[in-house]
Amino acid sequence: MKFLIVEDEEGLRKSIDQYLTAEGNICDSASNYDQGYQKLSIYDYDCILLDLTLPDGEGLQLLKHLKKINKADGVLIISARNSLDQKIEGLSLGADDYLIKPFHLSELYARVLAIVRRRNFNGNSIIQFNELEIDTVSKETKVNGQLVYLTRKESDLLLYFVSNKNKVISKNAAVEHIWGDEADMAYSFNFIYTHIKNLRKKLTDVGCKDYFHSVYGIGYKFTEA
Amino acid sequence: MKLFSSYNRILSIITLSGLLIIGFLFYQTLGQYINKQIDDHLYEELLEVQDFAHVKNILPSPDGFYDVVVKYKKINSLSDPRRSFADTNFYNPKKKHTESARYLRTQLVLDGQSYEITIMASKFERQEQIKSIILIILLPVLALLLVLWLVNRFLIKRMWLPFRQLLANIKAFNINQEKVFEPIHTNIEEFKELNKAVLDVSLKAKSDYREVKLFTENASHEMMTPLAVINSKLDTMLQSNTLGKEESEILNDLYKATSKLTKLNQSLLLLVKIDNNQLQDKTEINLKTLLQEKLAYFQEFIQERNLEVKTEMAEFSFYANQSLMEVLVNNLLSNTIRHNYDGGSIQITLMPDCLICSNTSTHGPLDPVKIFERFYKDSASDGTGLGLAILKQVCLRQNYELSYSYQQQQHHFKIIFNGQESKT
Repeated sequence: MKFLIVEDEEGLRKSIDQYLTAEGNICDSASNYDQGYQKLSIYDYDCILLDLTLPDGEGLQLLKHLKKINKADGVLIISARNSLDQKIEGLSLGADDYLIKPFHLSELYARVLAIVRRRNFNGNSIIQFNELEIDTVSKETKVNGQLVYLTRKESDLLLYFVSNKNKVISKNAAVEHIWGDEADMAYSFNFIYTHIKNLRKKLTDVGCKDYFHSVYGIGYKFTEA
Repeated sequence: MKLFSSYNRILSIITLSGLLIIGFLFYQTLGQYINKQIDDHLYEELLEVQDFAHVKNILPSPDGFYDVVVKYKKINSLSDPRRSFADTNFYNPKKKHTESARYLRTQLVLDGQSYEITIMASKFERQEQIKSIILIILLPVLALLLVLWLVNRFLIKRMWLPFRQLLANIKAFNINQEKVFEPIHTNIEEFKELNKAVLDVSLKAKSDYREVKLFTENASHEMMTPLAVINSKLDTMLQSNTLGKEESEILNDLYKATSKLTKLNQSLLLLVKIDNNQLQDKTEINLKTLLQEKLAYFQEFIQERNLEVKTEMAEFSFYANQSLMEVLVNNLLSNTIRHNYDGGSIQITLMPDCLICSNTSTHGPLDPVKIFERFYKDSASDGTGLGLAILKQVCLRQNYELSYSYQQQQHHFKIIFNGQESKT
């Protein structure tokens, strides 16, 4: 897949670039409004990661421009402002999702993939990983064609891990993905452990290979090896 | 003491004592004047007696006098021929009661016999005159004073009216609210000055407050991007294949600190947002449903700590901002879970217009004022210390009444939803 990162903060841009490229994607980056304007005018991307506050312009203007030239690129807004108005404005201008800084790269990638999936007009909502099959629309999970009953949180978690396969996901990121803002509660790390334990059991019970690997108590990795 | 009472007290002390002194002096002067008149009269009578004695060589009969009483007394020798005037009392046989009187006593010699002559005149009528005169003068003066006092009272009340209005406006002024200080209209120079001073101070306070808020908002926002960088770098480091146990622990701590900092920043921003009244669009909220949703949301936390949840919820819907109500319920519930002990209990009581969240805790009663202050938390808590401050701010903004109490080993947080049209 091909992505454009429009972000003026170099450190953040590099990290995102690195994370996405490692997944086998191609990343273009723009550090200001002008660069962003040129790149999105010329090339087509699967998804554009758009920062709203740029040194020489408003990210929302780029979004308007994109819609004006009738491009169907997916857009994920990344903003430091957690303002409902801006969120609504961005989404109504045609952005697909709105992510508030700071975020985990795994969260970012999961969202980007979701956007690309939704944008995929073939209607292919199924994610396949070996014997595992997840329907992102109906939220059904099948192992070798056999339906596995998962709770909403468990299936969310599974999708999150599958989206970020081969990556280490910190417990922190997983907790925030599930509980959002209220993730700061003590014990929340225990729940991730419990959820993953249950998830593993449910999957292996129907003959799925155990793809979850614990990484030094800091997080988990969903990988074949 | 009110200014008017204080002023009045001084004024009445001065008036009364002045009136007393003047009255006393007046009475004295009048009395002396009247005494002098009587003395003149007595002297004239004495002259008549002397003339009579001189011409007829006998003393006139005591019965022959009109309005004075004359007495003769034989004495052995002439001891003190001087005339002496003095006050006395005598029994008036006609009126049959004792009256005060004035007498003149002197001695004279007639045919070699010394006599002491006492001529006495009643002061009764004169005294009555004095009384009338004093009454005639005093009563109008008293009436005048009363009128003056009333006029004063009325005038002062009217003159202080702008001051009262000013005071009410100052009291109504809230730095937190959009409404600016309302100046009053008056022609009195002093009040105009006071008005202007208060207006200036209020505007200054408002602008300072706005600046502080703006600063908090901007600072918090500016911090979000570096935080995002830190977070993304941590995520990148996490992918490294050379990560050992020690590095993992360090990473873990870094994650925790970053996440806490983020949470803190978000809470500060939320506070500013509530302060700025940015969350205004209201929808109908069913509080019972919202509470049930949030309880389900916190389900794992409740189960993990083995908490017993008792609910007693009536239907209650009202108009409010969805996000604010979510924040309110979230903070209340997470507070009851966070500060509980394992195996403790939570009691949620929802009545129309009133929500009470109670929880058991290892802590005894808390300071009902301090707990709502920003960054007030016990050392064991790993929260931001802003949860209750946010709760308070939400309630303050919506005019809900938030109170804390400690009863039967339980902490109770009570919110009364004032001025809501219940829709149950």
